[in-house]
Amino acid sequence: MNENLFASFITPTMMGLPVVIIIIMLPSMMLTSSNRLLSNRFHTFQQWVVKMITKQMMSIHSPKGQTWCLMLVSLIIFIGSTNLLGLLPHTFTPTTQLSMNLGMAIPLWAGTVFLGFRHKMKSTLAHFLPQGTPIPLIPMLIIIETISLFIQPMALAVRLTANITAGHLLMHLIGGATLVLTSISPPTAMITFISILVLLTILEFAVALIQAYVFTLLVSLYLQIDNT
Amino acid sequence: MLQSLIRNVWVPMKPYYTQVYQEIWAGMGLMTFILYKIRSADKRSKALKGSSAAPAHGHH
Repeated sequence: MNENLFASFITPTMMGLPVVIIIIMLPSMMLTSSNRLLSNRFHTFQQWVVKMITKQMMSIHSPKGQTWCLMLVSLIIFIGSTNLLGLLPHTFTPTTQLSMNLGMAIPLWAGTVFLGFRHKMKSTLAHFLPQGTPIPLIPMLIIIETISLFIQPMALAVRLTANITAGHLLMHLIGGATLVLTSISPPTAMITFISILVLLTILEFAVALIQAYVFTLLVSLYLQIDNT
Repeated sequence: MLQSLIRNVWVPMKPYYTQVYQEIWAGMGLMTFILYKIRSADKRSKALKGSSAAPAHGHH
């Protein structure tokens, strides 16, 4: 049972070749591109979604921050589509791997920090001390703010990993339990199935999208803090 | 193929890669440095474990 539970989180390789590269590229292959002004229904829907995401995400930024639009919108579409595809049975979700989420979080967070230090050094350094702190507390507060700054990429990565992994594990466990219960007592299995498994699946769909949104929103917030 | 790659990817994305994402490249350098440190520490600890295990097993 233990082997089966964690088998879906092993990075897939086929005869020594990393298939995970193709799996990571798969969501982008499912998105269409067109040079026409008016294209088919699917592409129009996709354009509408991208436009909605762009407006929602980038309206809070200054024009300088809006140069990151391409990066942030790609990020949210990638994480959202990867998480949603991972809800299909027997698929591998790259965002369950901490290595991948750290690989996304550290460069983007460091980018926002370096941007702040490069263009607005004084204002960035001023963020280490909140306004109105009593003078005796200043050294301790600066240490606390520095620690909270360095924790940001860890929190970004671990949040996404833990949420998606926990959701997948829960679905495995409760699905397995429901399956065993069908042979023992079908009414209990029915109740478990409807009340727990279906609701959990709906939650997982929401979590998949929400986590993508939260990740991207936090990166954009760090960008805004260091830019304005 | 390289020419089509340059024409379709590099030419439209050149201002991004050269100007906008400079800090992100620096962040990626930081990440590779951290990765290198972790990997070398792991290699060192594995070598230490191997060398400390070999004489211990050799005495049996």
